[in-house]
Amino acid sequence: MADTVSDRPNSSVLDVEAVRRDFPILSETVYGKPLVFMDSGASAQKPRQVIDAMRHCMEHQYSNVHRGAHYLSAATTDAFEQARDRVAQFLNAASPDEIIFTPNVTAAINLVAHAYGRAFLKAGDEVIVSEMEHHANIVPWQLLAEATGVVLRVAPVEDDGSFRIERFAELLNDRTKLVSITHCSNVLGTNVPAKEVARLAHAAGARVMFDGAQAVVHGPVDVRDIDADFYGFTAHKLYGPSGLGVLYGKLDILNSMPPFLGGGDMIDKVSFKGSTFKEAPHRFEAGTPAIVEAIGLHAAINYVADIGFDAIRAHEAGLRDYAHERLSAIDGMRLIGTAPDKAAIISFLVDGLHPYDVAAVLDRQGVACRVGHHCAEPLMDRLGIIGTVRATLAMYNTKAEIDVLGEAIEKAKKMLS
Amino acid sequence: MAREEYEDFAEALEALDDDMRFEFLLDLAKKQDASDFPEEWKTDANLMHGCMSKVWLVHEEREGRHWFRGASEAAIVKGLVHMMVQSFSGLTSEEIRAISLDDVRRLNLGALTFQRQVGMMAMLKQIQKLAGQPVARETAGA
Repeated sequence: MADTVSDRPNSSVLDVEAVRRDFPILSETVYGKPLVFMDSGASAQKPRQVIDAMRHCMEHQYSNVHRGAHYLSAATTDAFEQARDRVAQFLNAASPDEIIFTPNVTAAINLVAHAYGRAFLKAGDEVIVSEMEHHANIVPWQLLAEATGVVLRVAPVEDDGSFRIERFAELLNDRTKLVSITHCSNVLGTNVPAKEVARLAHAAGARVMFDGAQAVVHGPVDVRDIDADFYGFTAHKLYGPSGLGVLYGKLDILNSMPPFLGGGDMIDKVSFKGSTFKEAPHRFEAGTPAIVEAIGLHAAINYVADIGFDAIRAHEAGLRDYAHERLSAIDGMRLIGTAPDKAAIISFLVDGLHPYDVAAVLDRQGVACRVGHHCAEPLMDRLGIIGTVRATLAMYNTKAEIDVLGEAIEKAKKMLS
Repeated sequence: MAREEYEDFAEALEALDDDMRFEFLLDLAKKQDASDFPEEWKTDANLMHGCMSKVWLVHEEREGRHWFRGASEAAIVKGLVHMMVQSFSGLTSEEIRAISLDDVRRLNLGALTFQRQVGMMAMLKQIQKLAGQPVARETAGA
């Protein structure tokens, strides 16, 4: 199948022009201007390797998985399970059985809140999140709190976006039963010291989950080194397709949990007297999964691995530092999130200008950014702002594009003031 | 007469290219000052819900005609609000009821994103609601 990786030699230096050639959409124009795509934190663009793998599946191999005694079904099932193997290897999970395919990270967190939370947490138990969570890592816990009486505690974030481990540690006590924290803030870019969070949480007797939606893109993530009990990420931010997320969970924990959704493919035996369920991961994958998308994710992981995280990290760190320098030179610029350890996620405001207006002018210049509260309203309240413009820089962005961003912001200032 | 205002806006927009339309809206926003919409009117009761940036609309009925004023914290939206309230103020209930979504589309002309168009449609519906009239719907086949 077209599960090919490019013939580019793996090196620690990223050839950004070669990478850009792999992403067909990057040669598009918008409003007659070259597209400058800086919204990868919302969803990343897809390389042709991913597009080809998904097309190949649909043109030559597609069928449903885990059923059907015919050639195509067996071939697709193999490809689907190979994707699970690849994800396990990518996260350094102990077994592919620890990899559950979900629709997205939101679903992964809801799965844990529902299946683990309702089975093992009771009134008075505490769940810790942080002030910089995406709504996806807040609302499921609020629903759990309403249903069970579990208490939600919130670890603070500093004014510059830093996450101070000692302030998190102050919240831990013998009532703490679960910590669910972002591994990298989608607004501030702040990286959370996951290994240390897990060590402290475990010492307090709590399980720990990480929302890895942003972190996994800048990886590598080693769930065993971190000692995460649960870890969620999504394919579409990792240059793969939308509609597919991943929940990693330690196997003994997963197998101790009741199912979340009931239906086909997750059962052992069904009768009207009662049903029994498969072990993980299938216990948590009711219904037909996102088959083509899993094959696309496999290709995306191969693509990222082929380029190499050392090269990606070095490239993105260069972009981040250059963006901070270039944007800071603009009068009235306010960078939101300047923690020492941060990913290439650049949130900003311009004095006197509404972020929606700034983003609209950037859009007319071909620069695609996200604007708003970024599904993190409590963080906006904490920082006392209504929202930000956010430029997320990915492996395919260039310093020249950051110059275009800077010039577009300067144009916005002229037009709007 | 508001219909003249509407025609003026529509014709001005038709004569401009996309970039110029964008600037036209910003100019409309800049022409407004604080007296057009006092701060004390920016209450939750006057707030339109569901907008990306805050939009406030107030309504007054005088001698059988409806008058609107609006504000937004974002300049481009302020320009849109200005155009909408100027276009559709001074109308009778019957005239307000007759405003269609196509009338609003004529004030958009692709200068703005689909999301903005949705916002303008929401503004029309709010205007009709404030005037106590049924809100415009897509006609079949539109």
